[in-house]
Amino acid sequence: MDSQTTIPATSGTFAEGMHLPKTVSVAGLDHFFGEGELRKQALYNNTLDVRRGEIVIMTGPSGSGKTTLLTLIGTLRCVQAGSLKVLGNELLGSDRDLIVRLRRELGFIFQAHNLFESLTAFQNVNMAAELAGIDPKIAARRIKSLLTRLGLAERIHYKPKSLSGGQKQRVAIARGLVHKPRLILADEPTAALDEKSGREVVTLFQELARDEGCTIIMVTHDNRILDVADRIVNMVDGHIKSDVAVQETSVICEFLKGFPLFADLTPNTLAEVADQMMVHEADEGQEVIRQGDAGDLFYLIRDGSVNVLVDDGEKRKKIAELKAGQFFGEAALITDEPRNATITAQEKSVFYVLGKNDFRRVLETSASFEEELRQALFNRQ
Amino acid sequence: MNTSLAWKNLAHNRVRTAIGVAGVGFAVILIFMQMGFHGAIRKTATQIYDALEFDLMLRSPAYLHLTEPRSFPRSRVYQAASLPEVAIARPFYLGLSEWQAPIRKNFQPTATIAEDDPAGQWRSIICMGSDPHDPGFVRPDICRLARKLSDPGFVLVDSKSKPEYGPINRQEFTEQDIGAETALGPNRVRIVGLFKLGTGMASNGACLTNPEGYVRACPWQTIDDVNFGLIKLRDPASAERVKARLRVIYGIPEAAAGDRPQIDAAIATNTNVEILTRAEVNELEEYRWVVETPLGQIFNLGVWVAVFVGVAIVYQVLSTDIANMMGEYATLKAMGYSSIYLTSIVLQQSVLLALVGYIPSVLISLGLYHVVEKASGMPMAMSGGILFWVLLLALGMCVLSGIAALRKLYQADPADLF
Repeated sequence: MDSQTTIPATSGTFAEGMHLPKTVSVAGLDHFFGEGELRKQALYNNTLDVRRGEIVIMTGPSGSGKTTLLTLIGTLRCVQAGSLKVLGNELLGSDRDLIVRLRRELGFIFQAHNLFESLTAFQNVNMAAELAGIDPKIAARRIKSLLTRLGLAERIHYKPKSLSGGQKQRVAIARGLVHKPRLILADEPTAALDEKSGREVVTLFQELARDEGCTIIMVTHDNRILDVADRIVNMVDGHIKSDVAVQETSVICEFLKGFPLFADLTPNTLAEVADQMMVHEADEGQEVIRQGDAGDLFYLIRDGSVNVLVDDGEKRKKIAELKAGQFFGEAALITDEPRNATITAQEKSVFYVLGKNDFRRVLETSASFEEELRQALFNRQ
Repeated sequence: MNTSLAWKNLAHNRVRTAIGVAGVGFAVILIFMQMGFHGAIRKTATQIYDALEFDLMLRSPAYLHLTEPRSFPRSRVYQAASLPEVAIARPFYLGLSEWQAPIRKNFQPTATIAEDDPAGQWRSIICMGSDPHDPGFVRPDICRLARKLSDPGFVLVDSKSKPEYGPINRQEFTEQDIGAETALGPNRVRIVGLFKLGTGMASNGACLTNPEGYVRACPWQTIDDVNFGLIKLRDPASAERVKARLRVIYGIPEAAAGDRPQIDAAIATNTNVEILTRAEVNELEEYRWVVETPLGQIFNLGVWVAVFVGVAIVYQVLSTDIANMMGEYATLKAMGYSSIYLTSIVLQQSVLLALVGYIPSVLISLGLYHVVEKASGMPMAMSGGILFWVLLLALGMCVLSGIAALRKLYQADPADLF
């Protein structure tokens, strides 16, 4: 139990993507609103890394600070304390020129579409293309293809007054994307859209992320589009409560589902369990648990393999070998007895572990659990 | 900047733009009127002088303005005539007298006079007196008419005099009024003809008679005291030289320093005459009316009030526009548009408003000038100077309000967009 860490299993730290550069790097970020007596802290020591090509969804109740964080990342507010790097530029104490330059690399999609009533859809989108200095012919082609893609082919030369709310929103989305920004910040981009166009928008996001290496951070409560997220950041009261790599979490959930006791749990509960798991590492030959010790952890092998050894008083006997995706350590937690076997790592391995109390709480969530448990134990004998 | 956002914003919000244009137009017309009045005052001062033929003018050092000219000895005029450079030197009389609106010939003493009928009422009038055979006017028509003034009881009436002077048709003096008798000062006179001159704001009416007639109309003055000496030179270019010679003859010392050297010098030596070139006459008269009397100040102030009203209206239009598009402007900021770009959009809008408001206002003002001139007899003229200055003021007014409205624009906070 030497190399215990405090890294949550769901952070995705041990998943792929480590080598990609960080588009956004938030470290120890605090933010305050108001002055003097009225000064109120909105963000507390936020830390968040977003890598190139990632799609991050930020959730949380209103007033939780997610919008504040989004505007800080978008250079729309001044950084007060801590460090915030966007596209490699430190924003703390940055000058106006840098900000204006940086903003042109960003694509904003606001909840309010804020289109110029006097300009047509095409001209509105062109405001962004013009600023980026795109050749007018190329810009025209790109604007047309974007608007067509978003289902506005027929309405390219309409003014906002003759567009529906959803159509206006899609024009605003096109405006946020036309200059191929390296980072897209979106606030409820799909809120005003029907299912089909909402899906088209997020598909577009995914393509941009995959093909252009565009990073996307969006605040949304639209659970229809959660599936596109690479990470989901949950904020509560100015703290980042969880920062979860969706892919990794689903891997963990799949593994957990394979554990008979958890087979009946809902995906929701499984995700909660995954959230409570921490990362442990072990080197080759290292003892992970020792027979006779009090049991306090449940192990899931993320990577590597282990030997199960039983000491019958005279000699150690290897009774089994466990591989990635398998579990151990549950018996001592259930029966409150000492460990009945020793586990050693066969190679350098990574485990996701769940504390005893958490483990039990999960089990208690199901009424049928006791029965299931006894059955499971009985079958083992 | 290809997308001319400023123009499109204005073209899009037609109602608001129309209000803006109306506002600018209103202010511009106000400025035009004030400037027109202002110009009319300046003209008032010089209108009669422009009609008189002179290169040098003699007048009393105590001269105040056209209708308060004071007098000086007539001999001074004849003294000037002795110089070989002088072609002719004419005495000219001008003063305010009293005019009774003529009562119609068939008037019965028992008849009642309508409330608004001026007949029988007294009005002050500019009375001019000059030699009927050589009256000293530039215009030949007046010179020709003046020959009719063979009797001190004969007068010519300015047909631009107001109706309150009692023309028979109650509008303006016409041929019908010729032969009418009335009182000028303490004596009876007969209208023997009409001339067309106009006296601007100095007086509502004018009449011309011969010197004897003038003295009868203004009995406080004798025929030996004149109001002006009109000196015509053989060579108008020699005005300064002749002026210097006359100064020696009259014993006026070299001009002292100061704003009004001739007057100061004359007063200092108690000389009873001063000599002015036409340019000086015009300049001093303008100074008197525009700067020294409240009239000029009122209209000067009027110009600024109009500009102020214009600023207020245009500011309202622009700032409402900005307030309505706060989100859009903030979005532009978030997109990375610089403050300079946003500033230029608002200023472009203000300049466009100014130009669009200016053009129709010129036409409307021309019409109003005509109406005012017709109604009041004030010489309203749309000069190039007025056109230029009003355009400049209109632009300045709009740019000023644009700048005031910009403060709002700078408040557009992109952080509020999320």
